[in-house]
Amino acid sequence: MGRIVLEQVTKSFGETQVIPPLDLTIEDGEFAVFVGPSGCGKSTLLRLIAGLEDTTSGKVIIDGEDVTQVSPSKRGLAMVFQTYALYPHMTVRKNIAFPMRMAGIPEDEQNKKIAAAAESLNLTDYLDRKPGQLSGGQRQRVAIGRAIVRDPSAFLFDEPLSNLDAALRVGMRLEISEMHERMKTTMIYVTHDQVEAMTMANKIVVLQAGNIEQVGSPLDLYREPRNLFVAGFIGSPKMNFIEGDEAAKHGAHTIGIRPEHIEVSSDAGTWSGVVGVSEHLGSDTFFHVHDTGLAETITVRAGGEVSFKHGDRIHLTPRQDVIHKFGPDGLRL
Amino acid sequence: MSDRRIPRLLQTPAVVLLLIWMLIPLGMTLYFSFIRYVLNNLRRPEWTSPSLSNWRGVGNYEFVLNSKDFWFAVQNSLFIVGSILFGTVILGILIAVLINKTFPGRGIVRVLLISPFFVMPAVNAVLWINMILDPVLGLNGLAVGGINNLIDNLQTAPVVGGFFSLWPEFEPISFRATQTSAYAVIIMVTWQWTPFAVLIFMTSLQSEDQQQKEAAILDGASAWSQFRFLTLPHLGRPIAIVVMIQAIFHLSLYAEIEIVSRGNGNKNLPYLIGEFANNNIGAASATGIFAVILANIIAIFLLRMIGKTLME
Repeated sequence: MGRIVLEQVTKSFGETQVIPPLDLTIEDGEFAVFVGPSGCGKSTLLRLIAGLEDTTSGKVIIDGEDVTQVSPSKRGLAMVFQTYALYPHMTVRKNIAFPMRMAGIPEDEQNKKIAAAAESLNLTDYLDRKPGQLSGGQRQRVAIGRAIVRDPSAFLFDEPLSNLDAALRVGMRLEISEMHERMKTTMIYVTHDQVEAMTMANKIVVLQAGNIEQVGSPLDLYREPRNLFVAGFIGSPKMNFIEGDEAAKHGAHTIGIRPEHIEVSSDAGTWSGVVGVSEHLGSDTFFHVHDTGLAETITVRAGGEVSFKHGDRIHLTPRQDVIHKFGPDGLRL
Repeated sequence: MSDRRIPRLLQTPAVVLLLIWMLIPLGMTLYFSFIRYVLNNLRRPEWTSPSLSNWRGVGNYEFVLNSKDFWFAVQNSLFIVGSILFGTVILGILIAVLINKTFPGRGIVRVLLISPFFVMPAVNAVLWINMILDPVLGLNGLAVGGINNLIDNLQTAPVVGGFFSLWPEFEPISFRATQTSAYAVIIMVTWQWTPFAVLIFMTSLQSEDQQQKEAAILDGASAWSQFRFLTLPHLGRPIAIVVMIQAIFHLSLYAEIEIVSRGNGNKNLPYLIGEFANNNIGAASATGIFAVILANIIAIFLLRMIGKTLME
């Protein structure tokens, strides 16, 4: 079980309110990702749920029980930190055993659980090493192992992959997703990386300045962003925004069109412009097109085989069915 | 090998200078320790100047080993150093943990805490022995006198008077006495050196990882468990450093011992050397060689211990 509900939760540091009143429900077994730019309050929100910060007002409810005043260790949650927060003087075995030792669980049961966790995380060969002798990915797995043995009702991850290199990050992302599929435990995951959010989440919570901008499944957010912020934040490369006359033609203040929804052609199209930088990824090529008269730069995605040189004039045709329209207040029309 | 020759050549002047710096005093001490050499002897005036013709062999060493004070001084040196280390490390950790939290006036408290360290050892000893530990005029005497007065008054009080009339008169402890002078030195040096330990532990505590603590809180660790399993291991290295530096310093305590009791009931090796050196330079040098050996044993033992903490 692990249904987490926030009711009118606020948090202020002195005079500054970092989280205005906020309601959120995370269902049992969900993989929820809090995503947003740095300083949007996503980590603070996670710490409020963990109990490492006190709420200024409002309630945190876990499985129907108000835990706002309950100490962090009694909430039945386990957290994985960005810096791993392993205990440097203890071996991997002792690190993983620490929460059980604090809870006074008998030694043979501890050993059983450590063996099981080490098995599932490929740590069996490293149990007698100290954290300093492990690589970043192994340390992160130890941190996860320490969380698993507590049988928490929910796992909290605070940007767990941001200290890893790109290749490891992809691997760990898959491992965490796999772990969620297997354990079916509620997980709350904080990241600033929208790719992690899109690939891992059942439910994405987009935050900005402590406000929830939109909650939904990754594809909901991709297909129907509620406002300009979410539209710009979700999707890579970023959505193109066009204002002015072109937007007025569609009856909107701003229209948004994703790079992957624009057709490129050398001879004919709705818009035209001059190719600036092209980024060749092999499978895809991203062209940054200037002088379209629409916006400073329009980014378009084409297949890997399409090649235009810097300075070439090209023609662009947006797919009409996927143009996002926004009003003057930034909300979706 | 040839590419190493030039760096070695360039290091030579410094190394030679340092060797001379160390070897000449050590050599002279060794030389004096094997000859009869006294400052004043009317019957044997030839002993008053150092000369190989006054060769005494290991006689000075035998004389020192057989003198009644030597083993006492060795024991007492270790007792004083050990007690001071124990006191400063424990107090240092407690105070450092206490002032590591933010509270109003923390800056002032820190400056006040460090200040004992800036008092000269001789001044420290004079202040403590006269103003605090003196059994008549010091805080010690005044406090005990005050308690005795209070008890006297209570003995005439109704109801509880009977109970208090069973109490004895308290005697202030005389810290210049043979049995207690070592404790006086331990108290005053612990007071002076605790700030040093606090300073080092405090800087170390500030570098403690806060996320580890948060992880431990979530893991259900109590404040004591956090201290025991996170803070104490984190302080391992600074503790080793404090122990080593202080051990080396306190083996050579002198001013405090001189001022408290002039060595009465409380000698360490340097003080014994000082006493011999009043006349018998040969015996003083032999004691000096013993002191060098003792310091080296302790230093090697400590370096091992520190090496171990650094290696983990």
